[in-house]
Amino acid sequence: MKEKIKKHHLIALCLLCLTGTLCWLTGVQFLSMRKTDTFYPSPGLSAQTKLSDYFPQLADSPGDTAVYCFRGEEEGGNLLILGGTHPNEPAGFITAVLLLENITVSRGKIFIIPQANLSGFTHDDPFEGNPQKFSLETPGGRRWFRFGSRLTNPTHQWPDPTLFTNAAGQALSGAEVRNLNRSYPGKEKGHLTEQIAFGIMELIKKEEIDLSLDLHEAAPEYPVVNAIVFHENSAELAAIASMELQMEDIDIRMEASPPSLRGLSHREWGDHTPSMAILLETANASHGRLKGKPSEALIVEGKDPNYVKASKLGMLFVPYSKDGIPIKERVARHLAAVNALVSGLRELNPDQAIDIGNFPPAQTVNEQGIGLYLHPPK
Amino acid sequence: MPEYAIFLSMVVIFAILAMGLKLPIGVSLVFSALAGALLGGEGLALRHLVEGSFGYFDTILIIVTAMIFMKVLQASGILDTITAILLKTFYKRKVTLLLTVMAIVMFPGMITGSSTAAVLSTGALIAPVLIKLGLSKVKTAALIAMGGILGMIAPPVNILVMIMGGGVDMPYIGLTIPLLIIVIPLAIIISLWLGYKDIQILDYEQMKSILPESYSQEYGFRLSLPVLVVILLMIGQGFTSSFMPDIGIPAIFLVGSLVGIFCARPFNFFKVTQDAMKESMPILCILAGVGMFIQIMTLTGGRGWIVMSFLSLPPVLLYLGISISMPLFGAVSAYGSASILGVPFILALINKNAIITSAALSAIAGLGDLMPPTALAGIFAAQIVGEKNYFKVLRYCLVPALFELAMGIGVLLLAPVIEKII
Repeated sequence: MKEKIKKHHLIALCLLCLTGTLCWLTGVQFLSMRKTDTFYPSPGLSAQTKLSDYFPQLADSPGDTAVYCFRGEEEGGNLLILGGTHPNEPAGFITAVLLLENITVSRGKIFIIPQANLSGFTHDDPFEGNPQKFSLETPGGRRWFRFGSRLTNPTHQWPDPTLFTNAAGQALSGAEVRNLNRSYPGKEKGHLTEQIAFGIMELIKKEEIDLSLDLHEAAPEYPVVNAIVFHENSAELAAIASMELQMEDIDIRMEASPPSLRGLSHREWGDHTPSMAILLETANASHGRLKGKPSEALIVEGKDPNYVKASKLGMLFVPYSKDGIPIKERVARHLAAVNALVSGLRELNPDQAIDIGNFPPAQTVNEQGIGLYLHPPK
Repeated sequence: MPEYAIFLSMVVIFAILAMGLKLPIGVSLVFSALAGALLGGEGLALRHLVEGSFGYFDTILIIVTAMIFMKVLQASGILDTITAILLKTFYKRKVTLLLTVMAIVMFPGMITGSSTAAVLSTGALIAPVLIKLGLSKVKTAALIAMGGILGMIAPPVNILVMIMGGGVDMPYIGLTIPLLIIVIPLAIIISLWLGYKDIQILDYEQMKSILPESYSQEYGFRLSLPVLVVILLMIGQGFTSSFMPDIGIPAIFLVGSLVGIFCARPFNFFKVTQDAMKESMPILCILAGVGMFIQIMTLTGGRGWIVMSFLSLPPVLLYLGISISMPLFGAVSAYGSASILGVPFILALINKNAIITSAALSAIAGLGDLMPPTALAGIFAAQIVGEKNYFKVLRYCLVPALFELAMGIGVLLLAPVIEKII
């Protein structure tokens, strides 16, 4: 009997050691997601601040994210560009990075937040099998970027309630409490994600933003894809931009923000601030439910035989061939839309004109790749 | 190696390990996931295995704490007292008993959207009553499992619909009537189907002879406090969010358990938690294993292959695809089924009313909680009645599950008519 107990203890000890080793090995991998991405702002950058400058409660929290400000010498319109609301929608994030590493502003002000939900960049979604990062080739070497989760890291905000009723009164499933784009207008004393949303609202109000853009991606089977989603206060602007994009042979869908769907940027920014609110969507296969094997190639090249098959069956809302929809095309689409919206703003209200220099041309990005406009890694 | 071949290899390896070599289900799932990663050229994929095992972290906490709560109710004598009260109230009224019992089991599911919470809380309360009135252990467990699933689907909180709605930008509004149209007839039919024949009407003396010991004289109102606290905290979720975050279901069960220490017969709380952990461990192991399996299945492209295989069925077979794939995918979890398959199916049925479609699909996805190896509703219902082989319980769930499936498909087909009526 004694011998049996000893044997039992030995097995338990071995299993504990094995578990400890496994924890250490995988812990290193999980913690690698906390290493911040490096950006190289263009010489046109006027100031780099933090979201906590607008909402001090966020200071030193995992939700405090960088805000890049480009101020022109002349008075003009104020523009906010948000990338990384959902860190698993990389075209929005990379578009914001591309802009902050290139542009100069001579008139008006531009605020860029490339990683709106910074906490979401520090982990992956279980069951999705996604890679932790992806890379883009630049003339001076390969740049790596994190590929995170749609939701805030549960180690930063936990537990989820059973039912999440956001500040706008919309009832949602509990996990959505960690979804930044369901948390607007946010709460001063709410969960971390609601506080991030509150901080962004404060920025829009304090900086008197005229036009706010939220850059996203959606699954190709999702009806609102390759779309401009607009609040009713920006319908005219969206229509002008849409026409300009159509003239450039870029198909874009116009989607009015549903008044009953609360908590999203395109609804609450417009309802709670004077800013025109617009959300842009491109089609990303790595984000979809029909995706095949998840990989870095799927994120960057966007090729997926499952989606080719789904396209043939008429199940998608965008054309999808075996060439896929690469990230350079998705980023180019966002760039073209941002440019068209800025032009439209000037046309609608010349006082709110914004003059941007070194704007990465959408067509060149689409033809020659994103790397051409990314700063090489140091 | 093609994606489908990797997935099929994983299934075969799992079957060999679990059925051939009789390894525990959880361990078999871990090794089949590991084999899948190797066959898919992903090496040991340790990060993915650990990440997948954490996919059910919240569910695991709910199970452990709910099990502690159930054991506290047993050890403190509260369970016996409630059984005695229910027996005294209903021993002569068969139909009223069955319908009341169904409503009681469903209640926690209705306010949490979780069948596990329902089965392990009020399911545990009513199980002894049904057994003492002549219903077999396995039929009692089947009734509780189905009650838990119906509670999960019933309004006001249906997480499955919320998940599907999130995927198609549909707000959670206008669901109450469609969900009641589905749930009320099913609750009546299923409770009577499983219980009417076997429940016995007793005379007073017979009833007295089977009454368990009641502590109501000794402890009075205090006895009901643990259950009341849990119910109040569950109902109160969301009300406190303006000044403090919700504490979550695991913490609710723990608070209820701690209250139980001071409300009835003294017991060793430490031993109770040990017993609860011991009984929960096999299902916790299965959940961690299923998490790893599904992560590797996705990583190697198997999930996409399965989803595409069902979605590419010709339109005439679409409803058959829904009937098979959604409950089957529930082996991963009913929530996973709603997210991965429910959203594409809503889009495939886009010409119908999305509210009615999602309500019907949630009824079908909910059946996933009966699908082995996770089969959360079936496993826990078996556990609370003391039945070791949960497949015996699932056998009695088959006909009620078919009722539910037929109701779901019927509502899908009749959606245009229902839309006009409501």
